[in-house]
Order: sequence, then C-alpha cells, then structure tokens
Amino acid sequence: MTKFHGTREAFAAAITDMAKTDRKIMFISPDSLKAMRATDFAEEFPEAYIEVGIAEQNAVAVAAGLASCGQIPFVGTYAGFMTMRACEQMRTFVAYPKLNVKFIGINAGLNGGEREGVTHQFYEDLGILSSIPNFTIFTPADGAQTYHAVKRAAEIDGPVYIRAGSGREIDIYNKEDPFNPDGVTVLKDYGTDTLILASGFILNKVLEAADLLYKENIKVTVGDVNILNGENNTKILNLMAMTNKIVTVEDHNINGGLGSFISKLACENRPVNVKRIGLNSFGESGPANDLIDYYGFSPENIAKTVIENLKL
Amino acid sequence: MGNEELKEIAGHLRFEAVRMIYQGKDGHPGPALGIADIVTTLYFDEMNIDPENPKWEDRDRFILSKGHACPIYYAALSERGYFGKKVKEYKLRALGSKFQGHPVMNKTEGVDMTSGSLGNGLSIACGMAIAGKYNKKDYNVFVIVGDGEIQEGIIWEGANTAASKKLDNLILFVDKNNWQSGGAVSDTIGSNNVKEKFEAFNWHVQEIDGHNIDEIKKAIALAKSKKGMPSAIICNTIKGKGLDFMENNNLWHKGVPTDDQYAIAVKVLGGAK
Repeated sequence: MTKFHGTREAFAAAITDMAKTDRKIMFISPDSLKAMRATDFAEEFPEAYIEVGIAEQNAVAVAAGLASCGQIPFVGTYAGFMTMRACEQMRTFVAYPKLNVKFIGINAGLNGGEREGVTHQFYEDLGILSSIPNFTIFTPADGAQTYHAVKRAAEIDGPVYIRAGSGREIDIYNKEDPFNPDGVTVLKDYGTDTLILASGFILNKVLEAADLLYKENIKVTVGDVNILNGENNTKILNLMAMTNKIVTVEDHNINGGLGSFISKLACENRPVNVKRIGLNSFGESGPANDLIDYYGFSPENIAKTVIENLKL
Repeated sequence: MGNEELKEIAGHLRFEAVRMIYQGKDGHPGPALGIADIVTTLYFDEMNIDPENPKWEDRDRFILSKGHACPIYYAALSERGYFGKKVKEYKLRALGSKFQGHPVMNKTEGVDMTSGSLGNGLSIACGMAIAGKYNKKDYNVFVIVGDGEIQEGIIWEGANTAASKKLDNLILFVDKNNWQSGGAVSDTIGSNNVKEKFEAFNWHVQEIDGHNIDEIKKAIALAKSKKGMPSAIICNTIKGKGLDFMENNNLWHKGVPTDDQYAIAVKVLGGAK
C-alpha cells in the first residue's frame, strides 16, 4: 500500500496501487493533478494520466468516451466543479448509459473547503447526485476509508461518486479497515438513548460529542454511514430500530444528504424522530475548526442538540 | 462503394427518415436530410463495422452529436442490417420504442454513444480516440456536429483536448447549413467562421460540399492521412436537402409533413423499397 495521509493522498495512493496491475485504471484531470496529489501517479503511469485543462465538462465527457471503450477512468477535482458545472455530463453521458466512470469530489463540505470560501466549498454535491439514478455514492470518513472506497469503486461496474475533502482529515479508522459494504459502522456503543448517524469528515466531532454525552449520563450509539442511498439498508434499519431518537450529522446542506436519506428510511420503515444537523446556509472562509464550530458542528453543539431533542 | 450507388442509398435513407417522422408525427426532418450524404458515406463506404457484432472493440466509432438528426441515423443502421430485417415501422419517439427522440446507446444496436444534448459529442469522441491510441487500436472516431451546436462551450474544450492529444484518429464533420433552431447562425452570434475557429485551435481543416459524395470520400481520405492532429471537415450543406419544400427553410428544423407533402416525398425520393 502506497503511503498516504488524508483523503486526497489516499485517492492518489489507491489509483497508483491499482494501476500497477490494471491498465484500465486512468486518471482524468481538469488541471487537478496537484490538487488530487496525483503527480507521482502521472510520473509512474504517464499514458494513464489524461490532462484536459481547466474544463470539467470536457473531463467528464472524455471519461465517458474512455469508459465506453472499456477503460476505468477516475475523474478527480473539486466536488462542485464536477457535480454542478459538469452535472449534465455526469447525468446524461455517465449515469444514463451506466458507464464505468468514477468521480472523486474534493473540498466537499465546509471542512473540506475551509479557507477557500463559498466558491470552493461544496455542500450540495450529495443532494444533486441523490436525484440522479445509477450513482453509487460513497462518503468515507477519513483518508484510510477513502483509500478503500476508491478501490471498491473500481470493482463496481457503473458510476461511483466518492466524497473527499481538504486532505487534512483526522484519522478515525485503521489503515487496514475495509470499506464497509453494509453502509454503516458502529464506532461508539454506549447505549440507545439516541442513535447519532454521521457521514464524512465530521465524524471525529461526533465521537467527541458522544463522550461528552456519556459524562452527562446520556448513552448514545454512533454509526458512520459510508454509503448514501444504498440498495440494501438492512444494517442501518436494524440500528434505527433500537431507538426512538435519531440525530444525523453531516457537513452538507441539510437537504439532500444523510439527513434526508435517514428521514426517508424512518418514514418508510419505522417512523421515529429524526433531528438533522447540517448546513442551512452558505459558508465562508475560515480556519477549519473555527468554521466547524461557528456553523454548529462543535462536539458541544452536537451534544446540546441531542439533549434538546431528547426533551421533545 | 461507387458514388452513384451511394447517392441512391442516401436518397432512400432520406425517404426513410421522412417516413418515420411522418408516421411518428414528430421529429426533425431538416437536420436529418442535411446530413444524409455524410451518414451514407460513413456507414456504406468508410466505416469499419460489423452490424452482427455492434460492440466489436476494433470497430470505427460514430457519434451523432447533433442527436436530433437521428432519423437519418436510424435509417442508416436499419439499412445496414443492425436490426436484422429492415425496420418496417420505426415508432419514432413512441413509448417503448428503441428509436428514441435522441440516440440512446443502451436501447439501439449500433449506437456507439448516447447523444442529443448539444456540444458533448466531440469531448466523448476524444475519450474514444484516446482509448484507441492507449490500447494501440487503429480505429477511427467520427463525429457530426452542427454549426449552431458549436456555440456550446464544451465544443472548444474538446477542440483543445483533441489538438493537444494529437488525436489524428478523430474526424469531425461540421454540418454547416447556416441555421440553428431559432434562426440564422450569423444573425445569432454575428458570424459563422467555422474554418478559422478550428484552424486557430490547431486542427487540420477542410471545407467541402457536404452533399458531394466524392468530396466527402476524398476529404475523409485526406483527414486520415494527416498525422499528428485532429481533422475537421466543414461540410457546406442545405438543411432539408432532397425535398424542395424543405430545403433551406428553417421551419423544417422540426416538423411533420402533411399527407400531401409526404406524397411528394414518396414521389421525389422513391418511396419504400
């Protein structure tokens, strides 16, 4: 396994490791080589690195053409430049024909975009893709999970979107932990007062919140949901069946992502209170931790929200 | 195949396109008729394809980027044998039909790429051409775009990629009929200097009569011989070519012939065979 830290290097490490044995793996770059930390990949596999310039729609369309000829192209760049600027190409020329193109969207969320400001922070990507059929959506929680998510994506025949961040994510998982195909992994199991379901790089804050709550004698379970809108949600539903209070936490707009997904599962299977923590507005520039606190993702605020929700 | 024979096939495909639009009561006859000679030359003379094995990996690829012109494409695929027996009733644009309003690769045998949202075909063709070179295949990728369509920004993103990757296995036909949905191209954007634009993007550019089979054949041969750069063949065409009442009349961008007009088409284009 090539060494890496954080989601971006994890992406580059995973495609580099796969390309050693699979000529089908390619990286399509809309001038995102450095941002995706893939310069070593380009040096080792110059033919498999396709630079198309600052042209995201073109990158996705080129990838569609490559996939139609049997390649496994990975398009990696800022989450919104793909899911917004190239949304139509992702829908009409990849998702509709079910072509085997993989997408890695970096700077996803406030935490992912932090100091760049709103133009480079993307908290709508999951909502956009949730309304497009045929997409498999992975939301790994750290670098190690991103590495395995990228490898898993290559095994799936069809479009996959993987949410990635700034590259400075806190490690939660061990490097060897596989990307859980069940769609949820329990990371804290203190009790069933509330089930907190999180996705993405906000997980460390949620784990801290669970410990704060434990000190207040409120015993929660924390689950990391790593597949959005999965086909088989049995494991998530089983967890949801153990409690009457659910809180979702996601670094994404409150609509269209994890909170929407879990609310839907609750409504359609076993109605239960679901409180969603997420973004209701655009963000702004700032140091990651300051931003995260200001916009309501601090462990204290998550804990407070859980407590208030228990009183309802 | 001989030029006279190809001309005859083009006339028949024109009739089939009009027939499917007349029967389906919807579609774009003007754009379909305008590219009939290019499509005929590609499918009946130039392209290395196997209708019995439409996904053959060494085949030449074709993308009808201006997907609304698909009736002529469907007619060519039928005539070429992609659907077994020639199609008697296309049911163009009908529910459940394999002949969708715009081409769909997973529904229609022989369609190499879903298309119709304007501008996307060139970039997708770049991907196919890059794959060809990467896998050391000697197939070519052919694309037809409209002169209105190339107002889309992604066309020029793709034009950059084709030139920078030296995609000499990519040949782009620009169907230059000087019209677009809303009116004349030059009225819309102030000019229609296609040749200069592609030359500025470092493409090999030819300009021909898009209804002259001999010129189309020679232009393809020259394009294939030009190494190290992609080729654009700018085809001066007449929208609606083949039926007097449609020719150069932009009302036929989209429209359905009346019974009387259909009768004229039967007479002029030879009717069903």
